[in-house]
Amino acid sequence: MTANAAKVGSTSRSVPLAVVMPAYNEAEVIASVLSGIMALPHIHVILIDDASTDETAALARRAGATVVPMSVQIGAWGATQAGIRYALRLGFTRVVTMDADGQHLPQYVSSLIEPIERGVANTVIGACPSRGSWLRRIAWVLMRSTSGVRIEDLTSGFRAYDAKSMEVLSSWRATFLDYQDVGVLSLLLSQNLELADVEVAMLPRENGGSRIFRSWKAVAYYMCHTLLLGFSKRRIRRYRAPRLRSVS
Amino acid sequence: MATISLVTGSLGLAIAVLIIVLIRRDKLYVNHGFAWIFTALVFALLGFAPGIFDWLASHLGVAYPPVLGLAAGIGILVLKVLLMDIDRSHTSMKQERLIQKMGMLEADIQALKEKIDS
Repeated sequence: MTANAAKVGSTSRSVPLAVVMPAYNEAEVIASVLSGIMALPHIHVILIDDASTDETAALARRAGATVVPMSVQIGAWGATQAGIRYALRLGFTRVVTMDADGQHLPQYVSSLIEPIERGVANTVIGACPSRGSWLRRIAWVLMRSTSGVRIEDLTSGFRAYDAKSMEVLSSWRATFLDYQDVGVLSLLLSQNLELADVEVAMLPRENGGSRIFRSWKAVAYYMCHTLLLGFSKRRIRRYRAPRLRSVS
Repeated sequence: MATISLVTGSLGLAIAVLIIVLIRRDKLYVNHGFAWIFTALVFALLGFAPGIFDWLASHLGVAYPPVLGLAAGIGILVLKVLLMDIDRSHTSMKQERLIQKMGMLEADIQALKEKIDS
């Protein structure tokens, strides 16, 4: 029996939780990242291997994660969506998405889930505004003003989704998206789902830099894409998410 | 009938025949064939009866009739390219969902293998 299966079978947590983690060539750090998450109780880790060319998938399996391998690279959001779809198939009604590079701290998982358990939000974003460079902060300002989505940390991949959010994000409309930020949040808002953000701490990446901000050309493409998408999906009235404090 | 009208009209008919041959040889999907045959027949009609454009232009207030043909042609081409991009977007989306589905099935197979081995 895998470590995952044993933990899901436990009865002390009211609702089992899946952690969905897209990964591409993270062999250097994946074992340590997963060991931190697997130490949490009643967690089932679903790692989506986005056609890595290194040992990421094998190491993740060895660490006890369920690996969903993509035969062709489809990008971080495509891989995340695959994980959410798979979590729904396995019967999970709550999912937390985390990056595989060690930025997101497992001890904040309960902080993200708590507003969902209390029924005040369908999606909770783990916000760490202090991590942003000046460039990232300018990007956030531009994205907020064009899309009208007033979430502090728009690009954070540390999020919790409830069953309704998971259903929306498993749909074909969400497959049209390239990135997980403005498009995903706008889609959730269009379905009248509630968003909230919770302050969390984040670590610097254990290896490498951002894949989205890897070059000026990549930044330019990302910004043009995201600003146009945000503008086209803008709601008529501005959305301001309720600000909730971290519980840990 | 002027020689040029015969040539352009015959060209339109030849294209219509070519479309049918392409459908017959499974090179072109039937749905796309409808639009192309219609286009070819319009070429043939305008080729055999170029006065149609003169009549249309006079009724629309266009002073120089060939401009109407050019504008209509460009407009139709732009629309066609836009429809192709829409179609490509949907195909790309379906492809991505298929890749995700395959990954999920592979994970299921792996889980079954582990269950059998244990």
